[in-house]
Amino acid sequence: MLEITGLSINYGAIRAVRGVSFSVGKGELVSLLGANGAGKSSTIKCIAGALKAAEGSILLEGRDITAANPEQVIRAGLATVPETRDVFPDLTVAENLMLGAYIHRRDQVGNRQNLEKLHTLFPRLAERSSQPAGTLSGGEQQMLVIARALMARPSVLLLDEPSLGLAPAIVERIFEMIETLKKSGLTILLVEQNVNQALSVADRAYVMRLGTIVASGTAEEIRSTSDLSAHYLGG
Amino acid sequence: MAFAIQFVIDVLSLGGAYALMALGLVIIYGILRLVNFAYGELIMVAGYTMYLSSGSSLPWLVMAVLAVGMAVLFGILTDYAAFRPVRAKSVTAVLITSFAFSNLLQNAALLFISPRPRNVPLPEIFSQTVSIGGAITPVRNLITIAASIVLLAAVAFLMRKTTLGIAMRAAATNFTMARMLGVPANLIISSAFALSGFLAGVVGILWIGRIGTVVPGIGLEPLLVAFIATVIGGMRSLPGAVVGGFLLALIDTTLNYTLSQDLLKFRDAFTFSLVILILLWRPEGLIKGPASGQRT
Amino acid sequence: MKHAYLTALILIAVVAALAVGSQLLGIRLYDRIATNLLISLVLVVGLQTFMGNSGLLSFAHIGFMGLGAYTSAVLTIPAQMKGMALPDLYEFMTVLEVSPLLAMLAAGVVAALVAAVVAYPLMRLSDAAAVITSFALLVVLYTVMNNWSALTNGPRTLFGLPKTTDMPIAAVVAAIVIVIALLFKESRTGKLLRASREDEVAAAALGANIPHLRWRAFILAAFIAGVGGALWGHFITSFAPKAFYLKETFLIITMLVIGGANTVTGAVAGTILVTFAYEGLRGTEGALNATAIGAGQVVGLTEIVLALAMIAVMIVKPGGLFPNREIGHILTRTRRKKEIVS
Repeated sequence: MLEITGLSINYGAIRAVRGVSFSVGKGELVSLLGANGAGKSSTIKCIAGALKAAEGSILLEGRDITAANPEQVIRAGLATVPETRDVFPDLTVAENLMLGAYIHRRDQVGNRQNLEKLHTLFPRLAERSSQPAGTLSGGEQQMLVIARALMARPSVLLLDEPSLGLAPAIVERIFEMIETLKKSGLTILLVEQNVNQALSVADRAYVMRLGTIVASGTAEEIRSTSDLSAHYLGG
Repeated sequence: MAFAIQFVIDVLSLGGAYALMALGLVIIYGILRLVNFAYGELIMVAGYTMYLSSGSSLPWLVMAVLAVGMAVLFGILTDYAAFRPVRAKSVTAVLITSFAFSNLLQNAALLFISPRPRNVPLPEIFSQTVSIGGAITPVRNLITIAASIVLLAAVAFLMRKTTLGIAMRAAATNFTMARMLGVPANLIISSAFALSGFLAGVVGILWIGRIGTVVPGIGLEPLLVAFIATVIGGMRSLPGAVVGGFLLALIDTTLNYTLSQDLLKFRDAFTFSLVILILLWRPEGLIKGPASGQRT
Repeated sequence: MKHAYLTALILIAVVAALAVGSQLLGIRLYDRIATNLLISLVLVVGLQTFMGNSGLLSFAHIGFMGLGAYTSAVLTIPAQMKGMALPDLYEFMTVLEVSPLLAMLAAGVVAALVAAVVAYPLMRLSDAAAVITSFALLVVLYTVMNNWSALTNGPRTLFGLPKTTDMPIAAVVAAIVIVIALLFKESRTGKLLRASREDEVAAAALGANIPHLRWRAFILAAFIAGVGGALWGHFITSFAPKAFYLKETFLIITMLVIGGANTVTGAVAGTILVTFAYEGLRGTEGALNATAIGAGQVVGLTEIVLALAMIAVMIVKPGGLFPNREIGHILTRTRRKKEIVS
């Protein structure tokens, strides 16, 4: 479904990611783990088209999207939820969601059905529909950005640190939701620092450190690897 | 009473024009964080289009539409000539290219048309006056008020209710995120320049309607007005631009009525001093723009 | 630091070469062009002290030049001529008559004082608002010059300034201004300002009061502009407020930007290059006007070409010809490289 080969990314003069390869199969939930500065977010931004790749290729369902810009990537069926939880603070919740469906703006009926579905998944958002997104709590904003990404009806969802800075109870809820999404057949690439939570929902996982992938395997394999914390903390 | 009516009409008609000028500038600034120094020349373009088409037998309204159309076209052209090639490089680079483009257009008018004022065709109604509650006022002031109400409402509708407008507001706070949702960057930027050109075109006709002639430097005063109004109102807020426009008109009109003939010549200096006072009090302008916002 | 001396030396040598070269040619026209160039140099290097160090564009510079020119005019026009040149001049000023050198300093001080008062609140503004208000400031200074008839003779031409500026004097002032600009760049204020240009937050964390630093640079730039205005006034001997407005602003900004606003070397190089281009184009315009097709109708061509050149430079080399390093720095570096190679 998503195939990354030999990807390298430069941040100014610094090479943040060096020759990373991994793949996500259809309907799979793959987790990308690693400490701060391991290059996870750069990888995500690059796949989303917001950063240029220096080397390597990115294939989505066999299509080359390496050089695609952000607006082409979403049209190809890959939606991204960045770690910065970028709601549009002055726009209402409804307007945020409406923009999520920008690429389907001609299909009003489909959007309405999709919105209803998301409102049952995130009842909170239905309640706050006409409120500016900037007034929501952190957890609600996280739900909003995920729901907004889903309005684009993607085949692959990139989630960058959905638990970042949220209270444990809310993190719990977010991960329940991620499970629900996975069950619905969505392909998900989940970037996390919260290793245990991520492995509890993931099928497979990759561990990144200093811009390269240092370990990979099924969630169980990664969990049982004794030096995981060494990789992780050492990053 | 008559005086009060006169005063209110003056403030509203001047303020309407100022608000539209400021709005056209802020629409670009809000999205790109870049100042368009060639904005005044869009007004000049509208004026010269009117002048050049005055020989034809077209109805006035068609000429006006043509003039607004040319302003829109030149607005988009500004993007391609001065903004797009250097946008990613630096803020100063864009300031300079747009300043250079402004000079280019002005001097082109100088070279190909004339340094001397040229008459612009205006319908009869622009020179008529009416009496409202004892106050005698030119009809064009009322036209300006009506036009600005309609346009401000239309812009508000566009920005609040249409997908394009909401996408533009989204792009103004977080351009990259908007693009990640599939909003095409170039469409948004071109729309912003087109809208800016549209406002400049309309306000250009109303503005030139006061004097009846167009010269290469006609855009300077509207540009300055837009500058000051946006700085007062807050550089990144559309409502701020409107508020700034009306406030500036209130200041100007008050000075017009209170200053003696000798001091009136220095009106701009007084206005500017007031602006400095406002900025001492609120460096961000009266209305703060959207919370976040990086440049693209 | 050593390369700063080398830069000063080279730039002063360039000024001297211009001065001597134009004398050797012995044509009056060239003398005039060279003097104009040296005066432009004073203005452009003055603008560089603010713009190059703070990274903010200022449109008000030419306005301060005007203040300087009018200050010096009021102080130096001979008492018996004042009745004619400035009929409405305030009584106590009619008797003033100081030496041109003193007047030039006074011109700088007046410009600097005005800058100090008006610019203080403006320096706190964010980049775009600061630029916009500097533009507004130019318009206001122009409005004042155009209307304060008592001091400026209004929009009419003011005449009667003693012609005390000649080429050697212009060259000396230009050389001094170059040294001042280089000294300022290497001073603590200059260094902190340049750090703030790169990263405002980091510089503030170092304890730099950025608005205050900008303010100092702005005052220095205004002082130099005032001196430049006096210098020009005593060269041209008659002028109107029109001379201190958008066209001239465009010209000096073009010079600085094409040369490279961040370096004094760039300011000097840009001034020389644009002056030659400008004179060449003006000559062409004149020639065209002399022909039947032109017939005195060709105006604005020079500005069009300069505007296109400016846009082209911004696209190809947004930092100008000398974007980062002064000439002395470039030379010492290449020499060191050669030494390493050999």
